[in-house]
Amino acid sequence: MKIVVAYKWAPNPQDAEVAPDGSVDWSRAKGAVSEYDPVAFEAARQLADATGGEVVGLTVGAASVDSPLARKAALSRGLDRLVVVADDRLADADGTRLAAVLAAAVRSIGDVDLVLAGDSSVDVAEGQVPMTLAGQLGWLGMAAVSGVTPSADGVVVERDLPGGITTLALTGPAVLAVTTDAVVPRVPGMKDILGAAKKPVEVVPLDALEVPDVVAATTLSGSRPETGNRRGVIIDGADASSAAAELVAALRTARAL
Amino acid sequence: MDFGLTDEQQLLLESLDELLERECPESYIAELDLNHQPPTTFRRAMNDAGFGSLGFPEEYGGTPSDALTLVMLAERVARQGLNNGYGLELLQAMDILEFGSEEQKTEILGLLANGDVPFALGFTEPGAGSDNSAMATTAVHHDGMVTFNGTKTLITNALQSRYLLLMAKDPQVEDPRKSISMYLVPMDAPGVTTNRLDKIVWHISDSCEIFLDDVTLPESSLVGVKGNGFKQLMRNFELERLVIAANCLGLAQCAFDDAATYAAQRVQFGKPIGSFQLIQLKLTDMAIKLENIRNFVYKTAWMVDQELPLKSQGALCKRYSAMAAFEVADEAMQIFGGVGVTVGTRVSRLWRDLRGHRFGGGTDEIMVHIAGRQIVKDHS
Repeated sequence: MKIVVAYKWAPNPQDAEVAPDGSVDWSRAKGAVSEYDPVAFEAARQLADATGGEVVGLTVGAASVDSPLARKAALSRGLDRLVVVADDRLADADGTRLAAVLAAAVRSIGDVDLVLAGDSSVDVAEGQVPMTLAGQLGWLGMAAVSGVTPSADGVVVERDLPGGITTLALTGPAVLAVTTDAVVPRVPGMKDILGAAKKPVEVVPLDALEVPDVVAATTLSGSRPETGNRRGVIIDGADASSAAAELVAALRTARAL
Repeated sequence: MDFGLTDEQQLLLESLDELLERECPESYIAELDLNHQPPTTFRRAMNDAGFGSLGFPEEYGGTPSDALTLVMLAERVARQGLNNGYGLELLQAMDILEFGSEEQKTEILGLLANGDVPFALGFTEPGAGSDNSAMATTAVHHDGMVTFNGTKTLITNALQSRYLLLMAKDPQVEDPRKSISMYLVPMDAPGVTTNRLDKIVWHISDSCEIFLDDVTLPESSLVGVKGNGFKQLMRNFELERLVIAANCLGLAQCAFDDAATYAAQRVQFGKPIGSFQLIQLKLTDMAIKLENIRNFVYKTAWMVDQELPLKSQGALCKRYSAMAAFEVADEAMQIFGGVGVTVGTRVSRLWRDLRGHRFGGGTDEIMVHIAGRQIVKDHS
């Protein structure tokens, strides 16, 4: 079974700065494998180990997604090899365009049985790319996948939906977006990290892929969700009982109690 | 001079962060400290992730690593607030990997892989410590066997260890440099008894007196060459001092971060106390000390990696790091005021644990003894 893990090299949220007005400054954030994608890496690795298959990492984005650190960070998480499409023309690409490029790259890899992805990216968090990718490929697409196990002629997929858990059998190719708790991703050790530099990486030029044109939307305006009238109240905790009384009084004043 | 991390170091530290977040939260450490328990599950997780065999030769399933990387990992674990959480057991195992028999290596590596502490170091005695020539515990070889008699004290991790790496002397040999040998003694061997010593520091590591009364074992319990025990032990002492210094650095950084955060939040006279210059002076001097310790530790590790002779460097580094780190923790306590000394606050634990490092692994004063004579020798 050939499994592709589509992941994002995204800004690390630990480096993001949140201004008092709630706006997030990502400009100083270093890159990292997007926070929820390691679950997809792990699910793919477990599936490949059980079926004797191969796990191919795939990422697309601006030229900065292809650095030695970015390669090793992904390859140390259980991939057998990596395919990268890195081009500054993709720097501000929206989810639909990225999905179109990913689909072209999946076709160029060839004979792919399954594409796994994380639930959503940590910086954009639209959760749109995996399902758009499935549409581009003409494959079955499923979000909220909480488990994938091999079966005699494909995989058995478990989905955690608001109405309950559903179990399905898949025989054809599919794109699955796994939930953040589908599996516990392994922590890369020194051997994984040192071994990562020796794994094959294929850099595919954007122009070598057949990517259909996608009409981009124009953002007219943006606003952040209403956070209410937030007040910072600092309570002196030196005396626990009076601090508790003060906390209760503050919550009552705010009509939270 | 490049102060940046390599890709591998950065990724390794990120991996360790993930592991610490999952396996070693503050609640876990506080519970261990309260109940005087060792961090066994954390050690096991570290081994599962490959950190437990870092620095070991590949033929023993390890991954060779440079000293700087090991020191950074030890610092990071300590920065979580966990004392002696990483590094020292690796050095101990190195003693066995270097000098032990195949049987001893297999046994010790197996215990280490399971998250257990393989052995405690049986060195200090009521009448001997840094003065090893005063060692009184004897090892008498006879008929393919060896019999031990004597008392060891302040032995760290004795209760949680399967073995005692015992240093004992042959009473027939007068030269103390040639009389001491190293032995691997099972803690449950007949004649071995222990007495736990209650102490106010290092709660996650027990300390014991160990009594050896006619403990008789096969001569195969000898580690390395008979009479070379002290020389074998000294091989890794410089690295041990370095790891202790890295541990002090991490603990002090943890105390500093806690104190700075508290200073920004604690309000007196209508303002956070961090806005008062006397508190800022403390934080500034603490930050300078941390920077000095870090540079000292990293440079010493770099010297190890360059295979430069350390001479007095390890002792200088250990002395400065242990003392300056405790000063940082002490000032952190001062910033916390009365809250800091209440049981259960992290800063109080850090203060206690750092105090222990001013004598654990060699006192501040013996470091002067080691470094001072080397300095004079270099200038004679």
